[in-house]
Amino acid sequence: MAGSALKRLMAEYKQLTLNPPEGIVAGPVDEENFFEWEALITGPEETCFEGGVFAAKLTFPSDYPLSPPKMKFTCDIFHPNIYSDGRVCISILHAPGDDPMGYESSAERWSPVQSVEKILLSVVSMLAEPNDESAANVDAAKTWRDNRARFNEIAHQTVRKSLGL
Amino acid sequence: MNSEDDLFYNDDDSAHEMDDDDDDFVEMGIEPEPTSTNEKTDVEVFLYEVLTTEQIVQHMVDCIKEVNTVVQIPATTTRILLNHFKWDKEKLMDCYYDGDQEKLFLEAHVISPFKKTPNAKKRTTRATSAAVAASVQQEVTCEICYLALPATLMTGLECGHKFCIQCWTEYLTTKIMDEGMGQVGTISCAAHNCDILVDDATVMKLVKDPKVKLKYQHLITNSFVECNRLLRWCPMPDCGHVVKVQFFDSKPVSCNCGHIFCFACGENWHDPVRCMWLKRWIKKCDDDSETSNWIAANTKECPKCHSTIEKDGGCNHMVCKKCRFDFCWVCLGPWEPHGSSWYNCNRYDEDEAKKARDSQEKSRSALQRYLFYCNRYMNHMQSLKFESKLYASIRLKMEEMQQHNMSWIEVQFLKKAVDVLCQCRQTLMYTYVFAFYLRKNNQSIIFEENQKDLENSTEHLSEYLERDITSDMLVDIKQKVQDKYRYCESRRKVLLDHVHEGYERELWDYLDSA
Repeated sequence: MAGSALKRLMAEYKQLTLNPPEGIVAGPVDEENFFEWEALITGPEETCFEGGVFAAKLTFPSDYPLSPPKMKFTCDIFHPNIYSDGRVCISILHAPGDDPMGYESSAERWSPVQSVEKILLSVVSMLAEPNDESAANVDAAKTWRDNRARFNEIAHQTVRKSLGL
Repeated sequence: MNSEDDLFYNDDDSAHEMDDDDDDFVEMGIEPEPTSTNEKTDVEVFLYEVLTTEQIVQHMVDCIKEVNTVVQIPATTTRILLNHFKWDKEKLMDCYYDGDQEKLFLEAHVISPFKKTPNAKKRTTRATSAAVAASVQQEVTCEICYLALPATLMTGLECGHKFCIQCWTEYLTTKIMDEGMGQVGTISCAAHNCDILVDDATVMKLVKDPKVKLKYQHLITNSFVECNRLLRWCPMPDCGHVVKVQFFDSKPVSCNCGHIFCFACGENWHDPVRCMWLKRWIKKCDDDSETSNWIAANTKECPKCHSTIEKDGGCNHMVCKKCRFDFCWVCLGPWEPHGSSWYNCNRYDEDEAKKARDSQEKSRSALQRYLFYCNRYMNHMQSLKFESKLYASIRLKMEEMQQHNMSWIEVQFLKKAVDVLCQCRQTLMYTYVFAFYLRKNNQSIIFEENQKDLENSTEHLSEYLERDITSDMLVDIKQKVQDKYRYCESRRKVLLDHVHEGYERELWDYLDSA
């Protein structure tokens, strides 16, 4: 099982290095262990996260790509769909079975033909358009909904922090 | 054994059916029981059969065959269609012949077997051998493992999404073993956004591990039983039998394992109360019993908005967090007139405080009422659990009596007495659920009298069996016990008949608020 996962991760890594999508860098933290990746995502343009560079860690299960990886931001980020500890809550990372809240249709869930690239692109669009219907960080969702100015202000702070300013 | 034989049914030929079935028994890993279908009847002639897992599989295969004699599509597609219609053959036939067939296949998430050219550009699995030979050299990348493989190693469903065989096998294995196929009895194509379902023949072809195959067959069987209104698994752990009825009704059925349960809801047989009320009751008990005890002892309600409040400080000037009402904890009247000296609040008893207390009294009494019924229900349940110990002690007693010049047949009354005791306890337990939801009327008073009488005599019987039996007056006790259990039996019958008559003549009123 892990053998095919490793091959697939290597193939994905190769593809990401040859044709990197705009604003995304990703690869294994250590070439000895292909099951832990680090990704850098630049905040999408014309959003409050513009200019920021956000680091995240991806952890792959041994039966990848049958099960989805887990993704966690390692920097501070205040966003409705990111838990305060950095874990990303997005439907593409959920297996079709588990949806205790019944928010997501199975069409948007994880399937083995998804890839790291597709996950990261989904995260970029999630940064641009938070989904406040199913919030992981309720405070962030509330601020986003009721006090957009305050939300933008916090976002700018995290952008500055992410750049080490 | 080829892969076709692994499946429950054979697509093209029914002549080999018997061989296949033998394989199935072995595949399911359960010994076929020699006791064939038992026809059992209730007093009111409620016909049902207890089936073993093998018989259920056979029953499922028969259902599929029956449909297939009319509808000419592959058996494996028929199963998906039947599953989609919750195994309602008539409904499937109606939709198949009267409705839009394309729509039917689309809704059931299968590609119509009549449309052999799929919408995808790629060729189907049944491509001509010449075409396959030509494409051997051609390499295709599997979208799951990202390996470039010869096209011959790729496979897929009629939807045209191809993946390599190994990835398919792993994908199906994960779905079967880890996700239990989401309890729906089907697996969809691995492609993103494709909901076309994988047919059983394909699953059996691609999955090689016998353990996984077995689990798949279990899951299919389970979904067959779960969606079929006329079938129910025996709720006993590890029983594995299925009860099949002729029409759906709330009636007691007795499994081969000895467990008696209500066919409609699967709970223990709960006469006189009906499934609906029992379900409500169980939910209420699960939700509240302990909680409401605590609430009754430790909280009061805001006199205005009735939020439950726990007092965690000494001051009696309360401000409700929800509605901001200022009130006095002691008299539950508004705080305003209290001024600085709260202990004068007895002065306001006559006015608003009284009203407030009345409304609180009401909710308290509702709770009291629930606890009253709940306690009695639980009490009988508890006693019922202890009766298994009683069976053991009675068995000893019976042996002892046989040594005192009594024949085997003569001491059987003791076992019978414990049987009756258990039946009475079970009935009594459920009478409290029935009574909890019952509105008081003349009939309910008669019911309560019956209940009282049965409860009284049941307790007497219990006492005889537990205590008096240890005395040496064996001959005396026999008469006493026999009289008592006969009385209990007759009282139980009277009570149940009265309730049933009430159902028929619609004599019972229910409380909505309970």
